[in-house]
Amino acid sequence: MNPCYYACYIVYKVIVYDIIFYPPVYQFLIIPGLITAIIVAIFILWFERKAAAYVQMRYGPWEIAPRIGGAIQLLADLTRYAMQEIITPQTVDTLQYLLAPIVMVVLALLPLEAVPLTSVKPYFPIPSGYSLLVAVAFATLSPLFITMMGWASNNKFSITGSVRESFMITSYELISVLGLLTAAAMTRSYDLVKIVNLQMSGKWLGLINPIALFVVFIAVLMSTSGFPFEIPESESELVAGPFTEYSGLLYGLNMGGAYIRRWVFSILITLVFLGGWAPYRPTPGVITGYFIPSLIVSLKAVVIMGIMSFLRSVYGRYRLDQALGIAWEILIPLALLAFGIGLAEAYFGII
Amino acid sequence: MEVSTSNSRGIHLPGMEIAKASKNRYEVMIGPAHPGSGHMRIFVEVDGDIMVKVDPDIGFVHRTMEKLAEGRDWIQNIPLFERIAILDACNITLPYVRAVEKLLGIEAPERARYLRTLLCEINRVASHLYGMGIFGVFLGHSTLYMWGFGDREVFIDLAERLTGARLTHTYPVFGGVRRDIPDDFPEDARKATRYMRKRLNEYAKIFLNNPNIRSRLENVGVLTKNQAAELGLVGPNIRASGIKYDVRLNEPYEAYGDVDFEIPVFEEGDSLARAWARVEEIRQSLNIIDQVVTWLERNPRENFMHEKFWKTAPKLYKDVYEGKISYSPKYRIKLMPIFASLKVPPGKSFARVEAGRGEIVYYVESDGKNLPYRVRVVSPSFRNVIAFKYVMPGHRLMDLPAIYGSFDYFPPAFDR
Amino acid sequence: MPAKVSLKKNPKRNPLGKVFAGNIGALAVGLKYFFDPNRITLLYPHEYIKLNKGYRGFIVLIKEKCISCSSCARICPAAAMRMLSIKVYNEKLKKYMIKKYPVINYNRCIFCGLCVDVCPTEALYHVPYHDIVYENMNDMILSLEDFQKEPENIEFKEGIPVKYYFDESRGLVKTPYMEELEKQGEKEEKNQKVEGEGEKGAG
Repeated sequence: MNPCYYACYIVYKVIVYDIIFYPPVYQFLIIPGLITAIIVAIFILWFERKAAAYVQMRYGPWEIAPRIGGAIQLLADLTRYAMQEIITPQTVDTLQYLLAPIVMVVLALLPLEAVPLTSVKPYFPIPSGYSLLVAVAFATLSPLFITMMGWASNNKFSITGSVRESFMITSYELISVLGLLTAAAMTRSYDLVKIVNLQMSGKWLGLINPIALFVVFIAVLMSTSGFPFEIPESESELVAGPFTEYSGLLYGLNMGGAYIRRWVFSILITLVFLGGWAPYRPTPGVITGYFIPSLIVSLKAVVIMGIMSFLRSVYGRYRLDQALGIAWEILIPLALLAFGIGLAEAYFGII
Repeated sequence: MEVSTSNSRGIHLPGMEIAKASKNRYEVMIGPAHPGSGHMRIFVEVDGDIMVKVDPDIGFVHRTMEKLAEGRDWIQNIPLFERIAILDACNITLPYVRAVEKLLGIEAPERARYLRTLLCEINRVASHLYGMGIFGVFLGHSTLYMWGFGDREVFIDLAERLTGARLTHTYPVFGGVRRDIPDDFPEDARKATRYMRKRLNEYAKIFLNNPNIRSRLENVGVLTKNQAAELGLVGPNIRASGIKYDVRLNEPYEAYGDVDFEIPVFEEGDSLARAWARVEEIRQSLNIIDQVVTWLERNPRENFMHEKFWKTAPKLYKDVYEGKISYSPKYRIKLMPIFASLKVPPGKSFARVEAGRGEIVYYVESDGKNLPYRVRVVSPSFRNVIAFKYVMPGHRLMDLPAIYGSFDYFPPAFDR
Repeated sequence: MPAKVSLKKNPKRNPLGKVFAGNIGALAVGLKYFFDPNRITLLYPHEYIKLNKGYRGFIVLIKEKCISCSSCARICPAAAMRMLSIKVYNEKLKKYMIKKYPVINYNRCIFCGLCVDVCPTEALYHVPYHDIVYENMNDMILSLEDFQKEPENIEFKEGIPVKYYFDESRGLVKTPYMEELEKQGEKEEKNQKVEGEGEKGAG
């Protein structure tokens, strides 16, 4: 055998199997991590603008690439943000001001390191025993840094916005955590692999316990502050909320951070309620055991993101106290009800 | 703790008052370049999330309209006053025209009165749709924003077919109007009104009856009947508070005495009632457009200009009207050269009409020359802006857009 | 009939039914337009509106008809129109005379059309388009020669003409504008007119 060919083969194997498909790297950077998140953001932002345009008697993005309906609009926007000067005002706490958006985006991606995307054991990023709990715990970390941004910006609008953000997070993340942990009560396990495997027969937890799915859906919608629900950065009275002082790429990171959080929660919802890689049974092997199931999970998550994006064209912005009222007076009782239903279903053995 | 405003000099300009610093309050500025509505600024003092003091700071788009008017010929002022509120151009200039007509001692003939009514109502619908669009963007409801502006296009197109310009029509002139309706206009107008009636139901579904928006508007910014009367507000805002005041009702002008329509009056006085009042008014305006168009169709095309300006007209003018000149459009009414150097008899006169945002009043004084001696304009937004100061305190900061949008305040109309 | 007052109230909402009905109604309207969009946007440089004949666009002078009365310059609210004194050779009187002709400054023009309406001999007219590019502001002050030419419409260069028609269910419908059809229609009209005149002449 040709030794050169052999060396190339080894290098190829190392790169593919030990670097690309090494679970922490693969999940953090490739699918469903950074690269997929950016692709999904491009697609979802395009879809959001297109869907809104359809409802609103317009065309939406078009001019940049007429043949594909302007689908690469976000690339242009990103380039613009990247070219812009990053201005650091004199009155800010420079270190926190610069670090907060970066840390926020990194932390927002962190839950992806905890979720298993296949049932084949070598491809778990962490031992899957408590993966649901760990993922949910990581998911609640990044909003802290939005509050920090507001504080570091030293600006009235930023502080008001970040206070609002912390209000929203305390109430809505609680609900989403409660809703996601309903699954643990139903399946008597924190193991996402076990939860998904239980749904293989078509009994998706979202179908068995739709209230829990609904509650989590609303909570994620509100806590990740997509367009009409962006109470912290509502444009008409706070200029851009916690992000007022930011410019250039840092502002782009902030905007991206919200999308990544929504993306991560969508993957969690997919795994817990919508059967994960459900119709497909992973078999050993990188492609069949890791690549395809992660792709299926991502596709389902994109559908959830699409539905969330569509709501922008129907709803307006809630007032802060009304949003909190909905959380504490309607959604938390509903979440508890869903929890009770889940327990009852587990008791009667429906699952 | 009351903020002290009694500094020795007694300056009470907004934003220039000296106030004691307080631990729990701070000032938030809404504007001056606001993403939702052009140039306005509101100083808001918040205690936590509650607004305690609201001070509208006005004058960002002041253009000295009244002074400019003193240096221009009588007819040259009509295009000038359109710039007060460009999307309500006919309503805004009509009282000026009426006031000058009173001084000249003439009155527009019947067909011209109906034509003016037609454009006024088209403008009113467009103006309300614009206001609702801005309201939508304030509440983060982008669909209403786009719908409002998109459907306004229908009525702007109607106005363009009637007058030849989309916004600055310069349509009513002393003694009449500048064009008659084109032949296919009645059919188009009826199509547009039928379309808009259907759309209003969808507006209600997606915006006013949407629980999300309803909860933002209901019982927010309540303006009681007494308060509204004391502050002297006008327009749909006051009718939403239960006061039956509309110039079209109290002092019918043009053809409003002859058409059949209702003035919707709401009792609640909150932001939702103000929004509904506009929707109902659009509905009534559509009724008026239908009736006026039918009248114009049935009656012969004559008497479109007052005798004084038309009886000496040469044959060419009639040829232009009948479309016999190849390069000029049909049904154009030419102005006699006397308009270019019109001298108005000395005197004072006063006229008012109900514009889209409320009553607009002109006081015109002439000293017999070809320039007006004084023109005073009181625009509806000028009378409505004071409401912010009294309605907003006590509400949350996030209610500010809801209240601001519901009053349909238009900064250029304030500043003139 | 004068106006009537009608007392109204905000539509009531009962706590449960309206919340669901309201949400479902809003979502249904949103979905309806998502699947059946009613788009009226003009894709501007690729399409342009073929405006009606009565549109108040750029103004053109017919020099032969002008009688130098200066009405247009006097009525202009923006002082965009000025009279230009020019020596003209008069054929009848066989001597040079000073005649005044209007010229326009498009920096100032507001397209109110009062000059066109006040002209006693119909020597001015509007062209039904308004998209013209000038390279600098000096070019916008037209000379007498330029004022007599119909300005070049840059919309023609790229883009197809469309026309908006009123529609009951869609408001405005954008339809490509067929110039040939319109021309045929005009020809037919002219033919009819000519025939009618001929009949008159014969009678």
